[in-house]
Amino acid sequence: MAIVGVGQTSYKRAHTELSSADMIWTAAELALEDAGMGVDAVDVIVMGVAPDALAGENGVEKTAIFGAGKPYVRVNTGGVTGSSAAFAGASYVGSGRAKVALVISLERMGQATTSQQVFNTIFDPVYEKDFPLTTITMAALRASLLMRVYGYSERDWALIAARNYRNALRNPLAHIHKDLSADDILASPMLAWPIHRFEACPMSEGACALVIAAQSAVGDRTGAWVQGIASTSDSYAMGDRFHRPEGTLVDLLSLRRSAERAYADAGITDARTDLDVVELYSPFSSAEAMTYPALGFCEPQHGPRFIQEQLTDASLPVFNPSGGPQAANPVSATAMVRIAESALQVRGMAGEHQVPEARRAVATGQGGATQFSTVCILGAERPE
Amino acid sequence: MSEPIELITIPGNWNFDYTYFAGHAASRFFAALKDSRQIMGAQCPACHRILVPARSFCDACFKRTGDWRPVGPEGTLETFTIITAAFPGLPEPPIVMAYATMDGADTALVNVLHGLDLTDLAAAAARLQLQPRIRAQFIDKPQGRITDFSFVLA
Repeated sequence: MAIVGVGQTSYKRAHTELSSADMIWTAAELALEDAGMGVDAVDVIVMGVAPDALAGENGVEKTAIFGAGKPYVRVNTGGVTGSSAAFAGASYVGSGRAKVALVISLERMGQATTSQQVFNTIFDPVYEKDFPLTTITMAALRASLLMRVYGYSERDWALIAARNYRNALRNPLAHIHKDLSADDILASPMLAWPIHRFEACPMSEGACALVIAAQSAVGDRTGAWVQGIASTSDSYAMGDRFHRPEGTLVDLLSLRRSAERAYADAGITDARTDLDVVELYSPFSSAEAMTYPALGFCEPQHGPRFIQEQLTDASLPVFNPSGGPQAANPVSATAMVRIAESALQVRGMAGEHQVPEARRAVATGQGGATQFSTVCILGAERPE
Repeated sequence: MSEPIELITIPGNWNFDYTYFAGHAASRFFAALKDSRQIMGAQCPACHRILVPARSFCDACFKRTGDWRPVGPEGTLETFTIITAAFPGLPEPPIVMAYATMDGADTALVNVLHGLDLTDLAAAAARLQLQPRIRAQFIDKPQGRITDFSFVLA
């Protein structure tokens, strides 16, 4: 199967000119237009939206596109919602239940005047909600553990963020277009040690849509061929993930398992040479660092050195050419944007931020308290 | 559509009250906090881990937990963050939030850590990066909630 259509709104603090339904419809229309298909060709619609409270609307997608009379599924797996929705759509197509799936994810958090209070409600109400657990502090707990165990520094976090901001300058859809250096980032206020303000992702709104087609329905369209796609869960309890022989909280077992499965299906044996583009679900620099060993780029203890390598070694894949989630984080859509951007890259349609001769890309997603992970491998090569 | 129109915004507010049902295992855990100032773990019969805070089943093994036993009152800090920015609806900074493994437990639990001098942030962080020993310190009148205790340096 292949992704034959991609549609994205821009990503920004608030799309004040669009209703929630308008945002969904805009992304869907762009994706179908890119695919050269009408909605009649679609067999199933999969929608990804994370917590309703971020939008202040229950079933925020309800006024959108049900009129088309199709089977419909909604997915919510937190930050990984967008790629879980793509996984669900790909599963419909792969099983033969659908020839064409239209998969859309929406983030409407611009309607929220505060988000961290809403994010506190994603944690366990019995044992956890009384503590200041939020998406930021959850990331900070991991960042300090990575520093202690693998020797990362505050500057490492700033270097990753600076590269993301620089890359985003060439992505017109990105939310943040600021050329912030590592020094600028380190000089920004501390939110929760060791995370500085400019190391945290922005609150962004936007919608993203994909058209996924069975090989028989691709025709002469330029497809991003799905070579491997995997989704793995883990224990929710972060405290349960410290003392396991197979890896600690920051060794991201669920992502490693997903990568193993997707790489096996795609025939990838060396991530450093078999991939051209890496689009990571990394709303914080620490989230990127956790992916290096999980995706097979380096041993965990060599992570800090790998930050330098990916910045300087041209033989390595390009990391987050779109700018990644630190430059735009429409939460429910973010993991789908990774797949959308990877699809644009291998189709040669990424515009200003096109990576030359991008033939194969990996897109990741992580959600909840990183208990959900997805890995998707897309390639330019049409299968026999 | 050529006439410019004023884009309308409509105010909204979500302010719902809830009652969360803790269930048998957490209720027993909270009773032990209140009645005997003990932090209890529950053991998985398959992987033998002492899961703390106690719960009714092990989600990794898909088994009901069996034996209950107290853990702590001391433990080892695993990771932390020092919250320095204020967010609406959340406690006022600065706050140290940490995961610690209580002695006898196989999992870590989250709580806040009190009593550390935070005037020099880098120095405080460096101290916590050494994985100090901690102790569970109970409030004067435990209420049967996870907030009945917090961590202090041992």
